[in-house]
Amino acid sequence: MGFLQSIRRVGQMLRKEFIQTLRDPHTRFLLFGPPIVQMFVFGYAATLEVKHVGLAVLDLDNTQESRELLSRFSASRYFDIKKYVARRDALREGIDRGDFLMALEIDSGFAQRLRNGQGASVQVLVDASNSNTALVGLGYLSQVGAQFAGDYEADPSGDGRRAAPQLAPFLPRVELETRPWFNEGLNSQWFFVPGVIGNVLMIMVMMLTAFAVVREREIGTLEQIMVTPIRRWEFILGKTVPFFLIGCFDATMISLIGTLWFGVPLRGKVAVLALGLMTYMLAALGFGLLLSTLSATQQQAMIASFFFIMPMITLSGFGNPISSMPLFLQKLSYVNPVTYAMVVLRGVFLKGVGFEVLWPSIAAMTAIGVLLLGFSVLRFHKSLE
Amino acid sequence: MTESEPSVVVDNLTKRFGSFVAVDRISFQAHRGEIFGFLGPNGAGKSTTIRVLCGLLRPTSGRAQVAGINVVREPEAVRQQIGYMSQKFSLYNDLKVIENLRFFAGLYSVPGKVLPERLAWALHMAGLEGREQAPTGALPVGWKQRLALGCAVLHRPPILFLDEPTSGVDPVSRRHFWELIHQMVAEGITVFVTTHYMDEAEYCNRLVLIDRGRIVAMGTPTELKSQHMKGQLLLVECEPLGPGLEALREAPGVLDAAVFGSSLHAVVADAQTAMPGVREALESRGLKVGRLEQIQPSLEDVFVSLTRWQPEERV
Amino acid sequence: MSLRRILAVTRKEVIQIWRDPLSLMIILLLPLIQLLIFGYGVNVDVKHIPLCVYDRDDSQTSQDLLKRFQNTEYFNIVHLSDSYRDVVRQIDYGACTVAVVVPPQFAEKLHSQGQASVQALLDASDANTASIGMSYALSIVQSYSSQTQIDWRERHGLAAAAPNVTFQPRTWFNEDLESRATIVPGVVAMVMAVVGAFLTSLTIAREWERGTMEQLISTPVGKLEIQIGKLAPYFVIGMADTAGCSAVAVRWLDIPFRGSWTVLFACSALFLVVVLSVGYLISVIAKSQLGACQMAMLATFLPTFLLSGFLFPIDQMPVVVQWITLLLPPRYYVFILRNIFLKGTAVRLMAGQLTALAIIAVVLITLATRAFHKRLE
Repeated sequence: MGFLQSIRRVGQMLRKEFIQTLRDPHTRFLLFGPPIVQMFVFGYAATLEVKHVGLAVLDLDNTQESRELLSRFSASRYFDIKKYVARRDALREGIDRGDFLMALEIDSGFAQRLRNGQGASVQVLVDASNSNTALVGLGYLSQVGAQFAGDYEADPSGDGRRAAPQLAPFLPRVELETRPWFNEGLNSQWFFVPGVIGNVLMIMVMMLTAFAVVREREIGTLEQIMVTPIRRWEFILGKTVPFFLIGCFDATMISLIGTLWFGVPLRGKVAVLALGLMTYMLAALGFGLLLSTLSATQQQAMIASFFFIMPMITLSGFGNPISSMPLFLQKLSYVNPVTYAMVVLRGVFLKGVGFEVLWPSIAAMTAIGVLLLGFSVLRFHKSLE
Repeated sequence: MTESEPSVVVDNLTKRFGSFVAVDRISFQAHRGEIFGFLGPNGAGKSTTIRVLCGLLRPTSGRAQVAGINVVREPEAVRQQIGYMSQKFSLYNDLKVIENLRFFAGLYSVPGKVLPERLAWALHMAGLEGREQAPTGALPVGWKQRLALGCAVLHRPPILFLDEPTSGVDPVSRRHFWELIHQMVAEGITVFVTTHYMDEAEYCNRLVLIDRGRIVAMGTPTELKSQHMKGQLLLVECEPLGPGLEALREAPGVLDAAVFGSSLHAVVADAQTAMPGVREALESRGLKVGRLEQIQPSLEDVFVSLTRWQPEERV
Repeated sequence: MSLRRILAVTRKEVIQIWRDPLSLMIILLLPLIQLLIFGYGVNVDVKHIPLCVYDRDDSQTSQDLLKRFQNTEYFNIVHLSDSYRDVVRQIDYGACTVAVVVPPQFAEKLHSQGQASVQALLDASDANTASIGMSYALSIVQSYSSQTQIDWRERHGLAAAAPNVTFQPRTWFNEDLESRATIVPGVVAMVMAVVGAFLTSLTIAREWERGTMEQLISTPVGKLEIQIGKLAPYFVIGMADTAGCSAVAVRWLDIPFRGSWTVLFACSALFLVVVLSVGYLISVIAKSQLGACQMAMLATFLPTFLLSGFLFPIDQMPVVVQWITLLLPPRYYVFILRNIFLKGTAVRLMAGQLTALAIIAVVLITLATRAFHKRLE
């Protein structure tokens, strides 16, 4: 009998939460707005791939060889020749202004040295304020250069310009075959979109949960509820279940957009994905609830959520691999539920692995969730403090 | 604003919220130095009217003039001339008492020379001397209201708008509050106050009775009681009360009957002729009759009778 | 406009901020913590990529090649596999991102036929790391290949050199090509955008929610006075944050600072005005704090993180997206910050960005003032 009453009270709480959430146009917007916006922005804007590196060229040699080299660049999809300049200071000024990223300076002995079988070098000014682009760009440069030199040497139409005999067919060569797995096209979107699910869920579920409790406290309706026979756990259940359901809804929506619009494959089992996400949401709920017991006002809840969410997302391996972080931060990622979510999400979507591989991550998230929820329930007093 | 000009002039004021008419073509005037009361049940349109007069809402039609300023056209100009106490307590709970006072003093540009004196006066009036450093949120309701009043008059406005200033306040504090209002009126301030407490209405110089957006009656309390009561009033004590009310309503000559405290009031055309009939109606049903006498109507009686009459009968 | 009224509003706001020490502490600490996290944690120079090796040839030649993988800081050999299945497992479990497989008879093929190949298997679920790993692996193999050729030439008594084209890079502004130098100035922008907008986004909404707004607007204080009075304390906090973050960036994280501090503060002040206005506008539009908070998230954090160029370069984004970023203040500020920190360029080279910020500031302030009504409906 007592249990039945409990269920009833929880049901009432749920009903109230849903009505409040769905009636408020802002919250309604929240269900769709942020997830969708993030999806599309990440899908289209976020990329660390480097293409169309802006180049400027100063060709002081003006020979067939130098023009041949330059044509390699203009033909390459990695480079974009923005300007052919006639003076050196134009190069400097352009880089200062940010008009282009690299400036090639071919000086007048270029072709001669090639014909003599010597190495010819080309000066490159690199704007390294974006180190990633610069690094990758330099890598491309050297590849184009190597290709050019190789072709030059192998060119059978050598009309006696070169001093060295044709050796090329006899030169040993080691090549690398690359096999990208799970994401053959090295598609940035396939990488980010599953991760976005993790981000959005954490932000939404955690923030909304924290806000929900604190809001009642701040507005004053908490007092009215505490006075009823409702128990602590019933209240908490009533407060958290709606956001759990909202999280499920959002997760489904994003997954659908990801698979249908962006074409991200779903190679693993949906059941495993569902289990992983549900335990992840458990952790997020726990976190949100914990924050709500620590915050007296909504402003505090917001700031506190943000304070934790930012590092959690940044250090989760969402955008850059954990393996390149300092050891200390790598250790920290063990207690970060978002890290595990990334593993599960990418594992199920792209790698197609199953429970036997992912169970440690799922177990970790469950543990974190249970811990946080338990702790919050204990902290939460049926009083107004 | 000249001496003879009324402080507040309202002419055919209407305020609609969507399809709901909150205030329907009301007109009245309040004079300098009087306590002008706006009396009515919840939802009658009292708060809406005050908010329009303070420039917080724009009327749908009609004219409103406060301290000689057309509120509709120049809402900002009015603000320095008035003090306003909103219905819900709306000072800053996380500020100390003195901080709230200083804040509003700053907003009303109370001159530096007189500031200490005004602050001291406000604290004294509110009974908060010695408690300047108390956080406002920790004060009991009655003190909060007095503090809010203090904050509203630091700049000595000629007109004061108080929206249900004593709701939720204990009777002793209410009494005290009204003494403060009387003090201010004595200094020439016009006080425009809304209330749903009938007994407070007796304190006002003039009253407007408002119900469902329309003015039902207007005048001094005495005028209202004598002129607007349709018929005369009988006090009937009987037991039990419930059946007594029914019986009374069916008794001959009884125009209306209602429960008042632990007795019944019956509105009759003529008290003397009706009394025997009433007694008989009750006793014939086996109800025990206690006191049965004519009484003077209170404002509450007036109000109930006015709001129960058909619309055509209203003022 | 009355300075007295503005001061009254500012004083109240400061008292309220001060009385909430938790928020205050987080506001001041959060930027620093973010800075440190990004400075240390976010490294888009991918290094120490976990590598798994499966050497089916096990010859001197293959060992030579694999040693090159070992000796570079780009890779970290975490596992030596003995079967193909094991390699698959390593990748599936995420233990390694790249696996190098040397086929059997590698050395033999190379010496007799002059051509041999090596396989690199990549876990491309992390496309970025995978493609970077791929290019590292490629360059390692290429250099091994060149070395092989040089050795061959020597053995056959030929000139060691061969026609080749090398590039002599002179890197400007960030000589060590440290991604930290790229990102950290951007972090300052992000933090300011978020702190500035987040905080102010609650200020008006909170008064509405608590009911104090009604009393406030019944007084003679004007719209603009309320705006200035409320934003002033947050401006000060924002500038303090900027100064603190810049100092930490330069002293602790060793980010170069080649510009002038005056220019930095002037530009930051302009950006702050923009950000605070965004927050204020949000606060006016959203009647509840929850709504304000979520709007602030969407309108400040996300765009700054993703579209300002601080982490993901704008010139690599699709053209449509690049146009969208033209509307975003953080984009200009990130550019300005990188300029000031790394390039030390003259103000005239940033004129376009500064103008854009100024225009945006004026527009936002006007919108916010227009949107706020001293009325109840």
